[in-house]
Amino acid sequence: MITRACAHENEVAELLRRGQWPASCSPELHAHVSGCRSCGDLVLVTENFQRARAEATSTARINTPGALWWRAQLRRRNAAVERINKPILGAQIFALVINLFIVVAFLAYQARHGLGWLSWLEQLPEAYKLHIDQLGQFALLNPGWSLMVLIPAVATLALLGGVVVYLASEKP
Amino acid sequence: MKEPLPMHRESVLPNVLAGDAPRVEDPPMDSDAFAGFYERSARPLWAYLARVSGDGALADDLMQESFVRFLCASQPEEGEVAGRRYLFRIATNLLRDHWRRRRQVSIEELPEELYAVSPSSTSAELLGPALARMRPRERQLLWLAHAEGYTHREIAEVTGLASASIRLLLFRARRKIANLLREQSSTPRRQP
Repeated sequence: MITRACAHENEVAELLRRGQWPASCSPELHAHVSGCRSCGDLVLVTENFQRARAEATSTARINTPGALWWRAQLRRRNAAVERINKPILGAQIFALVINLFIVVAFLAYQARHGLGWLSWLEQLPEAYKLHIDQLGQFALLNPGWSLMVLIPAVATLALLGGVVVYLASEKP
Repeated sequence: MKEPLPMHRESVLPNVLAGDAPRVEDPPMDSDAFAGFYERSARPLWAYLARVSGDGALADDLMQESFVRFLCASQPEEGEVAGRRYLFRIATNLLRDHWRRRRQVSIEELPEELYAVSPSSTSAELLGPALARMRPRERQLLWLAHAEGYTHREIAEVTGLASASIRLLLFRARRKIANLLREQSSTPRRQP
């Protein structure tokens, strides 16, 4: 399709845009538009669309801007909350993975070495059983004893981790 | 001209932005500026959406969503004219999404009858039926060019089409609707 623009098209379009058609149109231009298909289409279509626009804008149902303003503020706030929660979710996942890794490592260690410390516990003299501080010092010297510190530490970590995950998951 | 509505955030929605809530960036314009912008832009935007979609209720919904998204935009265009163009761009995207949701095809492939302007709409007597026989994309281009007076570059910005293709698309659409308008005006109207 040939779409070569008429040389007068811009002039006609400008008059139409300003609302000066046909009042400010020269007789020569008017005569040209009568004979030019392209300019004729432009005038016909633009006049119809301008009328339709005027009609539609006068019948438009417009609400007050206040409600939209507040709706937008709420959406912006929710988006900000979501942005903040993303790293928290990442931290939760990381903490969960670390906890799982510790548990798996502990179970693997126990499976490899057997539950020797349990039999050791049975052989523990009565005098040591209630002195936790001495037990801790002894655990540092004996690798087998370190499990006595590790197990409660892992349990505490898991417990605290659960509390942190719960608190962090709560939506404000 | 109407006075802008007084809007005090704490009185309308107490504690929404207070306390230990996360900090929200400042909106692109304050409430008074937005009220003025809304007064000047809402009617043309509604007219565009209503005439292109042929559905007044849909135009209501999309217009509200367009303004909300405009306010939520992190870096909206500066200045009234650029802001309005940005608003029309949002509305055009929403309209396109609406059509795509209804039917999973390209907007170019949509038949004109499927989204024809309903006869009950308050359309201009001559333009309404002709517009109903145009494709949605053609309606958008024609409205933006001839009702809003946008240039080809501005239309490309609003619709996301290549600026070079606007000229040809618009030329075809204009010729098509001009033929329809002439055809209708030469046909004797039916008496109710």
